[in-house]
Amino acid sequence: MMQAKLDKDTFSALVIQNQETLFHTAKAILRSDEDAEDAVQEAICAAFERRESLREADKFRPWLLRILVNKCYDTCRRRRPTVDLEDVADYLPAKGEDHTERLTLWQAVMALGGDLRAVVTLFYYDGLSIREISGVLGISEAAVKTRLSRGRAKLRQLLEEE
Amino acid sequence: MDRFDEFDEILRERAKQEPFPLPEDYAGRVFRTCAALEDAPAKRRHASRWAGVAAAVLALFIAVPNVSPAAAAALAEVPVLGTIVELVIFRSWTYDDGHASADVTVPELDGSAAAREVSDQVRAYTDQLIARFQADCETLGEGYKGLDVASAVVTDSDTWFTLRVDATETQASGYEFSRFYHIDKTTGQVVTLADLFREDADYVTALSGEVLRQMEERMAADESVRYFPEEFTAIDPQQNFYFNGEGELVLVFDEYTIAPGSMGMPEFTIPAEVYGGLLK
Repeated sequence: MMQAKLDKDTFSALVIQNQETLFHTAKAILRSDEDAEDAVQEAICAAFERRESLREADKFRPWLLRILVNKCYDTCRRRRPTVDLEDVADYLPAKGEDHTERLTLWQAVMALGGDLRAVVTLFYYDGLSIREISGVLGISEAAVKTRLSRGRAKLRQLLEEE
Repeated sequence: MDRFDEFDEILRERAKQEPFPLPEDYAGRVFRTCAALEDAPAKRRHASRWAGVAAAVLALFIAVPNVSPAAAAALAEVPVLGTIVELVIFRSWTYDDGHASADVTVPELDGSAAAREVSDQVRAYTDQLIARFQADCETLGEGYKGLDVASAVVTDSDTWFTLRVDATETQASGYEFSRFYHIDKTTGQVVTLADLFREDADYVTALSGEVLRQMEERMAADESVRYFPEEFTAIDPQQNFYFNGEGELVLVFDEYTIAPGSMGMPEFTIPAEVYGGLLK
């Protein structure tokens, strides 16, 4: 166990190292690029202020993700129930689109329901364990497994339909 | 390797290989955010924290209960609550050491045995929350912990009284939960959900079925609404509830219990025909 004493440079280096994971996760919950970027920025500032609550430096990523997820939930609370049509349009087939073109994994992930996207993203893109995802999202391990199972089945259906 | 493991591997490989769209200036924004972080305040707090905490813990953890001047002033403006429920005082407990903070303000009731019973229940409940907060503070090390508890009178008619106690615990994330306390003024009894129904009535199944139906209905109507119907089995026999302005039964669920945190504390208004035949 390594005791965390993060100065600004170390903290920043760890943030930059995890910046793609942060964006995946925020985007999976919020769908909008702009909201996801805002949430990441807020999470970085909040995490830096509270960095003394990180007691094991090797838990930096799940710790920061947990803070980010809560920022995302705050955003959801503020904006619900409106949905940005431009964001929805990103995941709908465009007019004249070639439907033989291969669906990317990320497009398939974004077509999942809101409660599945974050679990699937953290598991497949970021390699978090069931236990880590449970801690990050604040749900039980059983719930993570259930959602992962549903997400996997839906992805199989979406990707094999092509 | 079974079929799911193989598929997992395929998905993980695709996640690595396929390009992931990042906004054009995202990396620049992260960098600028990091560059603008202020280092000094956290360092200063870190250096002086333990002495401050020890003194504050000693001073504040023994100063219970306490009456805040603001609450006492507000008290004068609150009318007597019906004939058998009187609000006599606000009990207030606060704590702040710069890292952990708490603000607990709840009323003490009197005027009848039922009012005193509710008051005792509220006191026991908030004492439990405070004890948990204190225990967390001791094991928290250098983390942040927050506890806020406030209350509101939901109903105060000639026949019914409901007090709502709302709590928010914060530790990296916020968790909101509430408890409702009811007095049937016609009988002078403290009432829970089970007390509304006949002993042989399966109200849990009836109300659970309606909650599940409404979850599915709301999710079908609005894509931004999410619940966990697959994880919901039944309501608690003592589920939190209140009667709204129209006299309808409303079931209340704590945050995260049946829905993502983004949904807050879900409420379901139950039509009378669902449970009318089960009432006492």
